[in-house]
Amino acid sequence: MKFSATKEKLLEGLQQVQNVVSTRTTLPILSNVLLQAKGGEVLLTTTDLDVGVRGAFEANVEKEGATTLPARRLFTIIRELPSSEVSIEVDAKNAASIRSGQSYFKILGLPEEEFPPLPKFDSAKVVTIRQKDLRDGLRKTSYAISTDETRYVLNGLLFSLKENKLTLVATDGRRLAMVDIELEFPRSHEADIIVPTEAVTELSRLLTDDGEVKVSVGSGQIAFELNNTLLVSKLIEGNYPNYKQVIPSETKERVTLERETFLNSLRRVSLLASDKSNSIKLNFTKNNIDITANTPEVGEAKESLAVAYKGRDFSIAFNPEFFMAPLRALTEDEVFLDLIDEMSPGVLKIQTPFLYVLMPMRISS
Amino acid sequence: MDEKHSQLWQKLSAALKPQVSPDTFKRWFSAVKLVQATDETFTFRVPNNIYQFWIESNHMAALQAAIVTAFGSPRHVKFATALDGAMKKEEEELPEISTKELGRESGRDGKQSGGAPGLNPRNNFESFVVGPNNEIAHAASLAVAKTPARTYNPLFIYGGVGLGKTHLMQAIGQYVGINKKGAKVMYLSSEVFINEFIDAIQHNNLVKFRKRYRQADLLLIDDIQFLGGKERSQEEFFHTFNTLFDGHKQIVLSSDRPPSEIANLEHRLVSRFEWGLTAELQPPDVETRMAILRKKAHTLQIKLRDEVFEFLANRIRTNVRRLEGALMRVASFASLSGKELTNDVVEHLLKDILQEEARHAVTIEQIQRRVAEHFDVRLADMTSKRRPANIAFPRQIAMYLARELTKASLNEIGDAFGGRDHGTVLHACKLVKRRMLEQDNIRQTISFIDSALQR
Repeated sequence: MKFSATKEKLLEGLQQVQNVVSTRTTLPILSNVLLQAKGGEVLLTTTDLDVGVRGAFEANVEKEGATTLPARRLFTIIRELPSSEVSIEVDAKNAASIRSGQSYFKILGLPEEEFPPLPKFDSAKVVTIRQKDLRDGLRKTSYAISTDETRYVLNGLLFSLKENKLTLVATDGRRLAMVDIELEFPRSHEADIIVPTEAVTELSRLLTDDGEVKVSVGSGQIAFELNNTLLVSKLIEGNYPNYKQVIPSETKERVTLERETFLNSLRRVSLLASDKSNSIKLNFTKNNIDITANTPEVGEAKESLAVAYKGRDFSIAFNPEFFMAPLRALTEDEVFLDLIDEMSPGVLKIQTPFLYVLMPMRISS
Repeated sequence: MDEKHSQLWQKLSAALKPQVSPDTFKRWFSAVKLVQATDETFTFRVPNNIYQFWIESNHMAALQAAIVTAFGSPRHVKFATALDGAMKKEEEELPEISTKELGRESGRDGKQSGGAPGLNPRNNFESFVVGPNNEIAHAASLAVAKTPARTYNPLFIYGGVGLGKTHLMQAIGQYVGINKKGAKVMYLSSEVFINEFIDAIQHNNLVKFRKRYRQADLLLIDDIQFLGGKERSQEEFFHTFNTLFDGHKQIVLSSDRPPSEIANLEHRLVSRFEWGLTAELQPPDVETRMAILRKKAHTLQIKLRDEVFEFLANRIRTNVRRLEGALMRVASFASLSGKELTNDVVEHLLKDILQEEARHAVTIEQIQRRVAEHFDVRLADMTSKRRPANIAFPRQIAMYLARELTKASLNEIGDAFGGRDHGTVLHACKLVKRRMLEQDNIRQTISFIDSALQR
């Protein structure tokens, strides 16, 4: 195999796939990237057996062929190369010679046959989503995915395809984030699938603001095709909990908040929330919220915020980190906070179909 | 929910209501049922897992506080979801599905099918009789089958011959093969593993060999003890084990003894085997044996009188496979001869099996008593230091019989005979053997005592 390409194209291609490279040392082949030179491009594939990514870059292919090379090492070498033209030649023993300007590197690879193939999709259900919509949806929900491995059905994002809507849901038992995306698809494609966190992270990285992503759902696996890149992942098996149960049916008080101002206040006050109880208190009075935090033997913080609030006076406590996460992920100027009482969940909403349910902390007084 | 539990729940609800908001109570606790209550544990049934997740995460403190208020001391709280019930139902339907599915799958692409080759469809969870002797192993296996690599990894099942090790392993394999489409299940004995490894070395295709095993989602290896003493196979298995374990793949192993007692097994393997859960299968008690016999008779559509079941269950104690064999023999005799089955007939029919069984039941003390009786010496002489010929020789015969009929070691036998050392016992055995060859009357005496002991 022999090809040459610009350093930029090569780097771009490697960047797309290199995150999936396995860090496990027991299967050395998984820390390699598969290179397949054919026609006017080189295909790059990496996998850790759960998630796999395939990308490509333009190249001047002189001799077609395939090999696998250590991904991280290849990436660091290419990044440091002095000139913009790079040529790579691989011999029959999978040793790659990399030339660029005055530099010469030789790195040893493994034969292509050892590389596990990406799964094939034969009878998959296919839907197409605008990349911008999906990217937006992932950003608004993925931070709420549980990391608690004992509840493994929660270690992923629910993609619920129902009634011409794609609903994304993430929860860790204390909070829940949900987004609806309008989508046209046949009734036969309705399904609830759980996409593991790793794949969600990888997908968020690959999505851009333009174009569409083709989603194929097979049995036990899912594939995303976008911008000449293919992402394949296993699905989490099991039933996602009935998340609708968590969403309060009616709320009593609504307050409109300026997202950035509120976020900044929370961040400042949370500096004095103790690690142990880790809560901040919101005290609602007419047209005002006092945000307070205190840690015994350390000190306290307080900030007042003028808001349009006409409801009754009351206090409610939240975990500041859980409150700030959605505020950071959203881009809207205004958010709505709906409350019932100090012991019931708060609900964060915006103009578009988004919802964030957050459980209050118990106020010990 | 029965009367008692519903009263307890009412008491608890009353204490819980002030702790949470009315909306919370209505939303999360109105659908909760108390299904089991002991002094240590309360088990609540909830409609689905979101209730469990949410209550555990948010309302545990309130619930515990309410329990203390209502009952004075805290309890361990457990949840059972209605979904678990649904799963159980599925399980009960398994046998029919399994045969169908396996047949179809293997027809399509023999090797890669959901059920791995070598799995006997009869060995499923449904046909496994659970008793106190095997409930831990059974529960662990079921947990592993439902959520591979999430609960116990590796699962190590050990126990004597014919107690159900293979049955449990195959049941796990089939359950996973059927319920997780596309999961790669591999079931094999360690002997097959070793042979394939040797073959791979011979034909220089180790890479293919590794690939084959390291891509399994569920690896079941039977009779792992045969790996003892095979150093290179152990090394290869060690790496396979690590790869699968790191990849969160389930590993299930079985052996006839616990990991630490497998001879010539490397320490790093022993420690890995003990990493997850080690579950023992013990010989079934008499009730479980009855249950096994009835179940087997039911599946084979054999009708026998209760006395016969009881007789078999009482006399065959150590081995389920033998128990089933005996049942088959009795049943086929009954159907072929058409004779009434009395205990005597059955006893005659199963002479050899019963004798074999009885061997295990003989204790050193019984031997000493019998021998002392026969030679008309005092039982105390069996263990005393005195050694005139009329006492020493019977004592030596008793030692010889103890060696032949029990599993006791030379040392144990020596101890049982008044703290003699193993050399003395060995000498006695040799001496008796020699004299049996030389003198007919001694051989007859000993075989008489032997058969008397085994009756």
